[in-house]
Amino acid sequence: MKSWAGLENSSFFDASARERALGMVDKGTFTELLNPLDRYCSPHLPVLGTAVEFDDGIVTGVGLLGKHPVFVVSMEGKFIGGAIGEVNGAKMVSTIRLALKAAKSIKEKHPNDYDDRRPLVAISFETGGVRLHEANAGLLAHAEVMDAFQDCRGTVPIVAVVGSKVGCFGGMGFVAAATDVIVMNEEGRIGLTGPEVIEQEMGKEEFDASDKALVYRTTGAKHKYIIQDCNYLVEDRVGDFHNVLAEVADMPMAEIEKMRRIGSLKLVQEQQELVKLVGDMQPKDSMDIWKHFGNKKPEALPEMSTAEFLKVVKRRKRP
Amino acid sequence: MEYKGITREWDTRKKDALERAKKAAPYVKEGKIVDAKDTVALMEAVIKPFDKVNIEGNNQKQADFLAKCLCQVDPAKVHDLHMVQSVVALPEHLDVFEKGIAKKLDMSFSGAQAGRISQFLQEGKLELGAIHTYLELYGRYFLDLTPRVALVAATMADKDGNLYTGFSTEDTPAIVEATKFRQGIVIVQVNEIVDKLPRVDIPGDWVDYIIKSPKPFYIEPLFTRDPALITDAQVLKGMMAIKGIYAEYQVESLNHGIGFDTAAIELMLPTYGEELGLKGKICKNFILNPHPSLIPAIETGWVESVYCFGGELGMEDYVAARSDIFFVGPDGSMRSNRAFSQTAGHYAIDMFIGGTLQVDPYGNSSTATANRVAGFGGAPNMGCDPKGRRHASHAWLKCGEEYGLKEELWGPVRRGKRLVVQLAETFREKLAPGFVEELDAFILAKNANLPIEPVMIYGDDMTHIITEEGIAYLPKCRCMAERTAAIRGIAGFTEVGMKADPKETKRLRELGIIKTAADLGIDITRATRDMLAAKNVYDLVVWSKGLYNPPARFRSW
Amino acid sequence: MALEILEFEFKSAATQGINKEWSHFGVTGSGDLEVLMEKKDLGGAVKAKVVTPVKGFDAVWEKMLGKFVDDTGVGNVSIEINDDNATPIVVYVRLRQALAEATAKEVE
Repeated sequence: MKSWAGLENSSFFDASARERALGMVDKGTFTELLNPLDRYCSPHLPVLGTAVEFDDGIVTGVGLLGKHPVFVVSMEGKFIGGAIGEVNGAKMVSTIRLALKAAKSIKEKHPNDYDDRRPLVAISFETGGVRLHEANAGLLAHAEVMDAFQDCRGTVPIVAVVGSKVGCFGGMGFVAAATDVIVMNEEGRIGLTGPEVIEQEMGKEEFDASDKALVYRTTGAKHKYIIQDCNYLVEDRVGDFHNVLAEVADMPMAEIEKMRRIGSLKLVQEQQELVKLVGDMQPKDSMDIWKHFGNKKPEALPEMSTAEFLKVVKRRKRP
Repeated sequence: MEYKGITREWDTRKKDALERAKKAAPYVKEGKIVDAKDTVALMEAVIKPFDKVNIEGNNQKQADFLAKCLCQVDPAKVHDLHMVQSVVALPEHLDVFEKGIAKKLDMSFSGAQAGRISQFLQEGKLELGAIHTYLELYGRYFLDLTPRVALVAATMADKDGNLYTGFSTEDTPAIVEATKFRQGIVIVQVNEIVDKLPRVDIPGDWVDYIIKSPKPFYIEPLFTRDPALITDAQVLKGMMAIKGIYAEYQVESLNHGIGFDTAAIELMLPTYGEELGLKGKICKNFILNPHPSLIPAIETGWVESVYCFGGELGMEDYVAARSDIFFVGPDGSMRSNRAFSQTAGHYAIDMFIGGTLQVDPYGNSSTATANRVAGFGGAPNMGCDPKGRRHASHAWLKCGEEYGLKEELWGPVRRGKRLVVQLAETFREKLAPGFVEELDAFILAKNANLPIEPVMIYGDDMTHIITEEGIAYLPKCRCMAERTAAIRGIAGFTEVGMKADPKETKRLRELGIIKTAADLGIDITRATRDMLAAKNVYDLVVWSKGLYNPPARFRSW
Repeated sequence: MALEILEFEFKSAATQGINKEWSHFGVTGSGDLEVLMEKKDLGGAVKAKVVTPVKGFDAVWEKMLGKFVDDTGVGNVSIEINDDNATPIVVYVRLRQALAEATAKEVE
C-alpha cells in the first residue's frame, strides 16, 4: 500500500476507486462501508456469465475533512466501465441518505455551529452510466440519486469529482450536472452520449471518436471550465482534489449554491442563453466557443499545462 | 572455338518506354506535372498488360492516391499485372486483383489485408510469387523483379520532378533506382509542388511524372505505443530482459520490435536500467523508427545514435532538434531509408528483440495464423544469425562463446552469434497460448498452398526466449532435446509447458540455461507501471520539452 | 453461460501466515482479478475459491495456485478470487502483490 504522502502525491487519474476514496478525506479518517469482505456482489451478473466484484464496483464510506464528516462514493471504471447496477446504485443512494441523516443529527446536537460540522457528499464519478446487464435497476438508481440530491439541497453540499479514465457519461452525466460543485482535473470528461455512440449515430464526418483531441475539446475539463460547467480545475494529484474538497466543506452554503448550473428558474434561463448562443453561432468546434468567450488563441489552450491554462483562460461570464 | 554473337536490338526497353511516353504526352502540363484528374488516363497510357508494377506501400507511407487510380483503369486495356511491392496495406492493393487488373503478387508484408490474400489465393484470384523479407525483395528489384512502372509517394516535388521524400523516405530510393535504371517509368504522387525543395532526395531525371495528390499521402503512426496501455506483466518481462539479457551480454547495438514489450523496456532504461547502473554500457546504437517511447531514454543520455527505417508521425520536430542522435539532412529534417536500415539490422546489430505470437518446442517462432497470409517484413533478416558478419563485439562474442555446439560445428575458429530474443507470454489475451506443439504456420501453408511454412524466426537462430516464467538461454544447450526441455521449462501452463519434466527444469536452472525472475534477483512485486519513466503520451510530450507532437488519436487533452 | 466456481484446498509448509485479519487487492477489470485474503485456522492449509467466466482452465488454476502456495509457503489463509479473463502471469503477480499487502505493516 502507498504511504499517505505517496497517495496524496499520486495521480488521481491512475488511482483506483479505493485509493481515491482514502485520499480525498483527511489522513486515516476513512472507514469503508460495505467493504469487500461483506461481499455485496451483483446477483444478476453471474447468471449472465459476467465476472463480479466484491464491492460491485463502488467504494462507499465516511471520512472527515476537518470537522466535516464526508460521505464518499467512488466508482471503479475498470469494473464494467463503472456502470451503475442494482447493488452499487443502492450503495450510492444509501450513502447520500446517510449524509442527510448525519446532517439531521448534527443539527440537533450542534444547533449553533452546524456550518462548522456540516456534512459533505463527495462522489468520484468514473462511469458510462447504466449497467446494461441490469438496466432497470440501474435506471432506478439514477432516479433515486437525483431524488436524494433534492433532499440534500441547501443542507448537505454535493461535490462531483471527475478525473478518471472512463470519464462521466450516460445518465451519470446528468447526475454530475445536478450536483452543487464540479471539480475536475485536465483528464476529466463529462458528457451524455459517449463519443463512440455519437460517431455510430451521426457518422464519422460529424464526430470522429478516434480523434481523441476532438473528444477532449468537446467533453474535457478545459472546455467544461471555460463554459462554467466545471467550478474547479485542479492538477492531477489526489491531494489537490482533497484540498479543494476541504475548501468547499468550509464554505458558506450560499457560496456553494452560487456554483450550481441547474436547479432554479434563473439557472434554467442562463442555460437557455447558452443554447441560443450555440444556435446563433453554429460552431464547428469547441474552439469557436472559446474564442467567443475571449480566448484569442483558442488552439493554444489544449497544449497548455493546467497551471498555464488557469493563468490565461477567459471563461464565460455568469450573470 | 568461334563465338557467334546473336543479332538483336539492345535497347528495346528504352524504345518501349519512349513509345509509352509519347502516348502519355497529352497529359503532361508544365515540366513533369500531370493533373490529378488525368491520372487514370496516364496509367492506361504507360502501363501495359503483364507489366511488373510497384505501388509504394511501406508499413507507414502509402502512395494511396495512385493505388486508388490504378483500380480505376480499364481492365480491357490494363490486365494481368504482376504487382511487386513490399507492403500490401490498403484495400486497393487487393482490389486490383478483384477487378482483374492484376494477377500475380510478390510482397514482403501485409497487415490488414492478410485475410483477404488468403481468401483470394483459395479463390484463384491471385497468384502468389513469394513472401519475402524486405531486403530479399529489394534485392530482387535489382535482379528478376524489376518494376516496369513504379507508383511512388513523396512529400514535395518541383516541376522538374526533383523529389523531397524527407522524414518519410523509407522505400522510395530503392524502388525508383531499380525502376528507372532499367528504363522503367516512375510516377510520383506528391503532397505539394513547390518552386524550391528543402533538399533533393531523388533527382528529377529519375522521375517521369508528378501528380499533386488531392489529399496528402496516408501515413500510419505504426510505432507509437501509448504507455498508458503497458501492463504490469510487460513491465516484469522488461525487467527480466534488461537484467537477464541487456546487462548480461552488454548489448550495445540493437533493434526493438514494434510491440508494447519493447516499448516497456525503452521506458525502463531511465528507471530500472539506471538503478542497475547500465547507462553507457547498453542500448547505445539503435536501428529503429523514431519511437516516441524512446524519448525518455534519449533525454537522459542513454542513446548515442538512432537510424530509422521510416519516420513516425509527430516526431518530426523532436528528431530535427536532436541531430546528434538522428540522421538529419543539411536542411534540418531527417532522412530515413528502409534498405540501409535493414542492412544494418541484418549485419551489424548485436541483438534483435521483439514479441511473437507462437513458439514451438524447437524454438521456431511465428506470428502467422491459420487464415492470414501476412509475411514478416524485416523480422527474419534481423532475427537471424548473419553468416556474413565479420566484426566482433562484446555481446556477439559472448553469445558465440556460450554456444553449446561450437566445437562440433565451428572447430577451433572463434566466432560470435547474434542475439535473437523473443518475448512471449505463456498466455495472451483471451487465454490464447503462446507456446504450441505445432505452429499455425503449418495449417496456413496447407490452406494457402505455400511451398514452405511461414516461420518468422527459425529455431536455430533463436537464442533467447523470455516469458514471465523465466528466460531460456538456448545457445547454451548441447542438443535438440535440451533445447526443447529449456523451452518447455519456461512455457508455464501451456500444453508445451505442461510436458516439462520438473527434474530436468531444475537441472537446467542449475546450469544457467533457464533463469527465473527469482534466479535473476528480481522482486516481482516491483513489476508495476510505476517502473515506467512515462505513463502516458502526455508524459512523453513533457519529456520531449514539447517537441513531440502526437497525432490526435493519441491525445488525451 | 453462468460463472464457474472453482474450489481448491492446498497443503502448505505454512512457513508464513498473513498479518491482517483480512486484506483485499486488485480490481476485476478485463484481463485482471481481485484477491480477498482472510486469516483462518486451517491447520496450515490454504483454501481457494475462484469465480470466473472462463471455462476449461480448472487444471491451470489449480497448478497456478499450488505454485503460489509452494513458492511463498503461505498457510492458514482463505483466498477468494473474482477473475475476468486474467492470464496466468497476471494471476500470479496479483497473488504475490496481494500477499505483500496482507503481510505489510501499516505504513506511514
